[in-house]
Amino acid sequence: MPTAQSVIERSVAAPVLAPSLDLVKMAREVDLSVMTTVKSDPRALFEEQAIPFLDQLYGAALRMTRNPADAQDLVQETFVKAYAAFAQFEQGTNLKAWLYRILTNTFINVYRKKQRDPYQGTTSDLEDWQLGNAESATATGTSSRSAEAEAIDHLPDSAVKDALQSIPEDFRLAVYLADVEGFSYQEIADIMKTPVGTVMSRLHRGRRLLRGLLSEYAEGRGVAVKSTQTSGEASVTPTPKKASSPKRVPASKDVSASKGSTK
Amino acid sequence: MTDCGCSKAKAELEEYLHHELASNDAADIREHMAGCTDCSSEFHVGLVLTEAVQRACKEVAPEQLRDQVLLSIRTIQSTH
Repeated sequence: MPTAQSVIERSVAAPVLAPSLDLVKMAREVDLSVMTTVKSDPRALFEEQAIPFLDQLYGAALRMTRNPADAQDLVQETFVKAYAAFAQFEQGTNLKAWLYRILTNTFINVYRKKQRDPYQGTTSDLEDWQLGNAESATATGTSSRSAEAEAIDHLPDSAVKDALQSIPEDFRLAVYLADVEGFSYQEIADIMKTPVGTVMSRLHRGRRLLRGLLSEYAEGRGVAVKSTQTSGEASVTPTPKKASSPKRVPASKDVSASKGSTK
Repeated sequence: MTDCGCSKAKAELEEYLHHELASNDAADIREHMAGCTDCSSEFHVGLVLTEAVQRACKEVAPEQLRDQVLLSIRTIQSTH
C-alpha cells in the first residue's frame, strides 16, 4: 500500500546478518561431511574446521586488545588452547561459538589483566555521562534521522573503529559479537558468561554510545546531522536535547487495526 | 494497544534488527513501521550503524600468523 511499506520490506528482505548466519549453517553442514572423511586425524579435522575462522577471530582479537601485536598473540593462544581441547568439542554443535568462548576467556584471563586501563574493565561509573554526551548528538526527528543515517553511512572505516575503541570494553564486545559476527543474544550470553538481560543492555548502551560518537564525528566533519534540508520540516533545530516523547505518528489506518483498535 | 504502537516498536526495534523477535512480534513491528516514518527512520539509522560496524571490522589476519598457528598446532601433536 503506502510506499513506506515497500521501503521497509526491502530492507528487511535483505537482513544484514544473513550472510554470517548462512556461514554458520554452511559450517555445520561442512562439519558433517568432514566428520566422516577425516575422523581419524584430529589435526586434519581441526585445520579443516577451525582454521577458516582465523580472520574472524583475529578481527575480534583486534577489537579486544586494540593492538595488532597483542591480537596476534591472543589468536595464537586461542588456537593452541582450542586444539588441545578439541576432543571435548562436540561435533555438530557451533564451532564458531566454541572458539569465541575460548578467545574471550583467554582475553579476560590474560590480556585484560595486562591492560589495566581504568577506563576499560568496568562499565558502571563512566557510562552515564558518556551516554549523556553521546546521546545529545543523535538525531530525533524523522528527516534529521535520515541525515544522520546518511552521515554514518559515509564515515570512513577508521572513524568507526576509533569510536568502537573508545567505548567500554564490555559494550564493545557485545556490539562486535552481535553486529559483526551475528551471534544470537543467547550465544553472546554464553560467550561472555552473563545473563541475556545483561547482553541486551550492553548492546543497547554500546550501540547508543557508538551512534552518538559517530554522529558527533560526522558533525565535526561538517556533515549536518541535526539540521535538515528535507522539505516540510523546520530546518533549524538548535541542539535538541534527549527526545522524551517518540510520539510523532503519521495518519496510519491499517496499522493499528491488527492490534485490535478500532478503524 | 492503547497507544499508536510506537512505544512497543521503539522498545523492540533493536531486537527486531538482531532477529531476536518471534515471528509474530517481528510482523507487528514491520507492520507498524510501514505506517510510521518516525519508527522506520529510527530503524534505518540502526541498520546503517550495524552495516558501518560490519564494514569497518573486516580484517584479514597476517599471513605469518596463519603460519605460526599451523606450526604450533603441528608441534603440539608431534610432542604428544
